[in-house]
Amino acid sequence: MPPATGPKSGDALFASVDRVNAELFTLTYGAIVRQLLTDLEEVEEVNKQLDQMGYNIGTRLVDEFLAKSNVSRCVDFKETADVIAKLGFKMFLGVTATVTNWDAEGTSCSFVLEDNPLVDFVELPDTCQGLQYCNVLSGVIRGALEMVSMKTEVTWVRDMLRGDDAYEMRVKLTKQVPEEYPYKDDD
Amino acid sequence: MIGVGKAKQYANVLDKPLSRGRQEVSLSAFAFLFSELVQYNQTQVDNIAELERRLEDAGYAVGARVLELLCHREKGNRRETRLLGILSFIHSTVWKVLFGKVADSLEKGTEHEDEYMISEKELLVNRFISVPKDMGAFNCGAFVAGIVRGVLENAGFPAVVTAHFVPIEGQQRPRTTILIKFAEEVLQREARFG
Amino acid sequence: MASAAIYSLFIINKSGGLIYYKDYGSAGRTDTNDSLRLASLWHSMHAISQQLSPTPGCEGIDLLQAHNFDLHCFQSLTGTKFFAVCETGAQNIEILLKVIYELYTDFVLKNPFYEMEMPIRCELFDLNLAQIIQKDRVALLGR
Repeated sequence: MPPATGPKSGDALFASVDRVNAELFTLTYGAIVRQLLTDLEEVEEVNKQLDQMGYNIGTRLVDEFLAKSNVSRCVDFKETADVIAKLGFKMFLGVTATVTNWDAEGTSCSFVLEDNPLVDFVELPDTCQGLQYCNVLSGVIRGALEMVSMKTEVTWVRDMLRGDDAYEMRVKLTKQVPEEYPYKDDD
Repeated sequence: MIGVGKAKQYANVLDKPLSRGRQEVSLSAFAFLFSELVQYNQTQVDNIAELERRLEDAGYAVGARVLELLCHREKGNRRETRLLGILSFIHSTVWKVLFGKVADSLEKGTEHEDEYMISEKELLVNRFISVPKDMGAFNCGAFVAGIVRGVLENAGFPAVVTAHFVPIEGQQRPRTTILIKFAEEVLQREARFG
Repeated sequence: MASAAIYSLFIINKSGGLIYYKDYGSAGRTDTNDSLRLASLWHSMHAISQQLSPTPGCEGIDLLQAHNFDLHCFQSLTGTKFFAVCETGAQNIEILLKVIYELYTDFVLKNPFYEMEMPIRCELFDLNLAQIIQKDRVALLGR
């Protein structure tokens, strides 16, 4: 767990950052999805683009999380997952995720969200049943973790927009680049 | 119908109580999303005018929905029919809900009867954005101009809406002015109302 | 500029490329080529210092002291380095570097016109940095 000088609680963290009305966020995301559906036409392409956009956001957002949350280097993937669930989701979206369903190796787990500010006002029309509306979130996780040397695959297993009882994404650690000598190969 | 035969809290989004709009997310979450919207649209255009138009379109979609939402929630399903009424609705109610504050000013253009300006010292969407010199006068406020146009047009006030940087004396950073130029029919109708 | 106990500030990306350099009145010694070279050398030295460490978990040089200057370095967990060359004994520089890191996350990383890992040209970053670098502000950080 984090050291004594360590991070704030999720609630304290969220209270300490500037906030905006979630509707501005939700409606702006809706406008992005709508643009992508018009530009790309194929739902599968839209899913890919949303994931890519999330990845881009993740690679940038991770630094803000580290700078403002005061967390220090996590000892393993388990601790990392806990930090994301309790502090990461809270700091940016004001919601907490639960970490569950660990596999025996401790390399894959699920984030379960009961509240998800992306989806207010949303219902998938018949023409978009294959749309992974929240793909931006899984992309963010993948992008952010890659910046701290963890390669992951993130997929949705439950989606309330498709009638499930919660939002659940599965995060699988595929490769962890050793931290000690990050310059060895490239320099 | 989605969700048929599965356990779901609400079968239809319309059955859900409309949110009271008090939920918040971090400004950063919005800023990163908005940044990504701008970056994506940059890959879809050849020039700055197109980029402005696409950001405006994205904003328009937001504005149209905000109008629906707020007319229902804040105004008991009533909608402004007069020009000054709708402008003040945007300057006060819409701004407060979306950006957490009333806009800094609402003024009538001095040179043209059909022009109005909403100005903001620091537009929320521009809080973290530095526009490179080679993009000239480009302003990401085009998105907000689109929101304003979306509200106006869907309330029956078609207009051309644009965002501009305006230097302020003694300040390092310019403010942003959202310039609203109403369609002729709007002014004619106003004149008939008297 | 009413500046600080700080002579110069460098930001280096995770591959060792200099992405930001600001001189605060150090006799104008470093031209662009020099600063690029220095950044790259510092990047390597920082890596070497980690390898020299007798115990695992070393995160590299935090402070280098010379008889006429101090060099403070902060490296984020994502590998970006912020380092400042200062007067000897300058106070609160670690905190200042963390504040600069926060400014970087706001005015660089949230700017859609900034390309990752590339040189930083963001007016708002410059403006906010100039404010925080002022001597009296740095002194206040310690409170």
